[in-house]
Amino acid sequence: MERFDAIVIGAGHAGCESALALARTGNKTLLLTISLDAVAFLACNPSIGGTAKGQLVSEVDALGGEMGINADKTAIQIRMLNRGKGPAVQSLRAQADKNAYHTEMKKTLENTPNLFLRQGEAVDISLDGEDKIVTTSVGLKYVAKALVFATGVYLESEIIIGKTREKTGPNGFKNSHGLSESLRKLGITLVRFKTGTPVRLHARSVDYSKMEVQNGDEGISGFSYLTEHPIENKAVCYLTYTTQKTHEIIRNNLDKAPAISGEIVGIGPRYCPSIETKIVRFADKERHQLFLEPEALNTQEMYLQGFSTSMPSYIQKDMVESVIGLEKAEIMRDAYAIEYDCIVPTELNPTLELKAIKGMFFAGQINGTSGYEEAAAQGIIAGINANLYLKGKEQIVLKRSDAYIGVLIDDIVTKGTNEPYRMMTSRAEYRLLLRQDNADLRLTEIGRSVGLVSDERYNIFLEKKRKMKEIEQELERKIKLDENVKNFFQSHKESLPKESMKLKDMLKRVNIDIFDIKNQFGFKGDYDFNLLEKVNIKIKYEGYLKQQQEDIEKALANEKLKIPEDFDYQNVKGLRREAVEKLMQIRPLNIGQASRISGVSPADISVLSILVKKDEKERKNGN
Amino acid sequence: MENAIVSISTPLGVGAISIVRMSGKDCLNIALKVFHCKAKIIEPRYMYLGKLEIEKDTFEECLMVYFKAPYSYTGEDLVEFHIHGGILLAQKVVELFVKNGCRLAEAGEFSKRAFMNGKITLDKAEAIIGEINAETEGELKSSLKITNGKLAEKIEKEQEDLKMLLAEIEVSFDYPEHDYEEIVKGKVLEKVKEIKKQNDKIIEISESGKYLKNGINVALVGKANVGKSSVLNALLGENRAIVTDIEGTTRDSLCESFFHKGMKINLIDTAGIRQTEDVVEKLGIKKSLESIDNADIVLFIRDGSQKESKEDKEIEKNMSGKRVINVINKTDKKRVLEYKDNEIEISALTEKNINHLKDKIVNDVIKFDIKSDALVLTNERHLDILKKCDDILNEIFAIKNESLDIIAMLIKKLWVELGKITGNTENEDIISLIFSKFCLGK
Repeated sequence: MERFDAIVIGAGHAGCESALALARTGNKTLLLTISLDAVAFLACNPSIGGTAKGQLVSEVDALGGEMGINADKTAIQIRMLNRGKGPAVQSLRAQADKNAYHTEMKKTLENTPNLFLRQGEAVDISLDGEDKIVTTSVGLKYVAKALVFATGVYLESEIIIGKTREKTGPNGFKNSHGLSESLRKLGITLVRFKTGTPVRLHARSVDYSKMEVQNGDEGISGFSYLTEHPIENKAVCYLTYTTQKTHEIIRNNLDKAPAISGEIVGIGPRYCPSIETKIVRFADKERHQLFLEPEALNTQEMYLQGFSTSMPSYIQKDMVESVIGLEKAEIMRDAYAIEYDCIVPTELNPTLELKAIKGMFFAGQINGTSGYEEAAAQGIIAGINANLYLKGKEQIVLKRSDAYIGVLIDDIVTKGTNEPYRMMTSRAEYRLLLRQDNADLRLTEIGRSVGLVSDERYNIFLEKKRKMKEIEQELERKIKLDENVKNFFQSHKESLPKESMKLKDMLKRVNIDIFDIKNQFGFKGDYDFNLLEKVNIKIKYEGYLKQQQEDIEKALANEKLKIPEDFDYQNVKGLRREAVEKLMQIRPLNIGQASRISGVSPADISVLSILVKKDEKERKNGN
Repeated sequence: MENAIVSISTPLGVGAISIVRMSGKDCLNIALKVFHCKAKIIEPRYMYLGKLEIEKDTFEECLMVYFKAPYSYTGEDLVEFHIHGGILLAQKVVELFVKNGCRLAEAGEFSKRAFMNGKITLDKAEAIIGEINAETEGELKSSLKITNGKLAEKIEKEQEDLKMLLAEIEVSFDYPEHDYEEIVKGKVLEKVKEIKKQNDKIIEISESGKYLKNGINVALVGKANVGKSSVLNALLGENRAIVTDIEGTTRDSLCESFFHKGMKINLIDTAGIRQTEDVVEKLGIKKSLESIDNADIVLFIRDGSQKESKEDKEIEKNMSGKRVINVINKTDKKRVLEYKDNEIEISALTEKNINHLKDKIVNDVIKFDIKSDALVLTNERHLDILKKCDDILNEIFAIKNESLDIIAMLIKKLWVELGKITGNTENEDIISLIFSKFCLGK
């Protein structure tokens, strides 16, 4: 029986981040995967980022994670979404080369000291005191004090295409059989979720002349704060539409669609419906848009976004051929739905540690989330906390005001989810603070404090902060009101100031940005675009940022009021029964978390804080 | 120290004084923004006589006492104001502090803070919990749905409209590639304008709200020589100082106000009354009648020592549909005039019943009984929220050049505020609406 400090089961996007975080903080770490060819596999769309997800990737990066670096290395197109709608909602999205993404991540794992990448299927978990023993399908046994579960959609998964059900994992990889039962024996609740993926087509069979080209944006730097050069756009995507004929084919064959006929019982995500679901639920919509995205540079395979289905293969063919430009399309891989086991995330602490078993962490789709970015975000936190657990230190929880990662984890562990959870900007209450551009300012120090931020990264960060200060210093310059300045204001459709004015105050005018100021008045130093943009947002939105900061501070008081782990909800007086039930189920760490549980009222929170205080005093007196 | 909270601490009945209490961070500073007294330094636990500036140039004499943390009931900085009795005045004072940075205290919050800060012993915990639960229950019983179903419906509708608008904006943020016509700022602002209209109307129809904001408009009518001018002076009395006449306004719209039980009472179109008698005679009763239109209530003043005249009947004809108090003046002389409905006998000369007349004006206009507390209390909370919404709405128009994300932030804030009345505050509701209304996904 080989001993490690930590074992990570699953080498998807969550598992990779967990294993890297553990190994990089000096733990001998085993990363166990069903197939070495499935490491960091982009099982669905060949892209990283998107609204709110782009922020997640940069946050993982700022903490010292790998996803951003790997995405930048393998990106073949990049775009900044929501330009023009304001800084709070701008996000990066990149098309990634699916093959390169896998290869590069595998390379990184292989070259990380302390990390042992091993193919093997975990089939049983048993406990021996603090030790967790993992047994594989071939009878090997590994033991460690910390265990991270990142099994993705592999647990007892089934692929569904029409009437065909196959007990495999995504893309024909082997599924994980037996582990679910082992988890149940440990008292963990499992539920069944569902998701799906669309068809892949051969590029040569597509008539691009009938489609709209979607180009990338130029001059955009990537997700990672370590990436120095803008991402080069090497490929394009295409936009096309379904036709009335597509809808007719689907309507005529609804009885064969497992998701509609009731054969699929798993709960699918609302934000990711199959094409047949879209046509049933939005019957009056005349056409649906579809995007064609390249899977990788060295393959002809194209991903048809918007065309997820579990129809029988022969109907999929008819459906595809009815789409504009796809009349002669060759299908290379069928679309499918996949059902899988996942845990109920309210059984976890906000540290991602299982409440019932110390040292056992869960991250990624097993927690009922969806998406590569959401998985990586949990992966790095589980890795960080598994390390802190091993070192006997207090584990970390990112706050909702720190990061989208904080929002994501707080949501799933406090409210649970009844569908695969996807991150959206609408879920964050402080999104003006949680921007794509400032993840490093928010999280680098935290990453540093847990030992994941390297000297290289930290120095880049400090240098950046120093330069930002310098720019702000330059903006303190006072400008006299002469003809040139008057013209400057007039040409930007701004009313004239009455007297001389600081550059900083000019920047607060709606129609003047930092680049206008730089061009007109010049700066002493030479600063790159990103830095100027950061300062631009910081100053322009100062008032609103301050408002959000104040809201956060108000909310923070409650976060600081800790509730003892063994607080006796049942034997206290004054709480409503409904509140007691909810509180017992979630067992919140503090009053702040308690206040976000649905069904717990503000009056319950007042009562609870008194009870907790009373409990604290009584314990003190008792000792 | 936690943020400052405020509430009325005395029972909500009739009493000689009311106490309004503030506790928490910065509460002394908030108090001193509006409290003016001679002392330069406020010592803890001394009482100061001074004036609260309730509105611009409108003062209320009162006493203030400051307790410095931790030597106070709550263990925080605490300020008490001892003001004249009457629920409406107390509410005005609370509102004043809310405007200056306080928030209304939640059920049992003062006691809760006292407990959390170790000012109340362990064995009292259950009593405080009882207080919180009882007050919460009281609030639930007097929730808007129960006390004013129609108004509740209107607020729910406003919040629902906001939710639809938010869903449309949020979907454009979270699904920039979706193929619905994207909502643009112009359209957002248009919809916000519609919502503002709704909000204005809600404030308007919550009757007490309207009067609390603008005061009660009172017209004094009557034929010549019944003593309108002396009734006017008697009503204004010592309050003569708070005439709201501002230089440059036309003499025609002269309006003089005074406060009674915290309620502002505007005597409208007093210019005519103050003009020389011969001018009044020239204009006849015509001028006097014009003011009736703008009044919430009309004081029809007659001379009790004389028989009813033709002119009196003429005036009466013009008052249909209006609330009227028949004010019988000159009752220091022998009464000759026959008795009227809803009348009150006064004497401007001896000031007999002038205070009763003031009570009557307030009571007749504001339908709810000033002495009953629950109705007023919840309305106060709701009105406070609606006014906050009005501020946010105005802010949206003031920053209409900002990007959509900022505007969305304020719209969300608005939705959250209204949720405090309707109880719908789950963010998930917006997300659900996004998915039920729009066809999205890969």
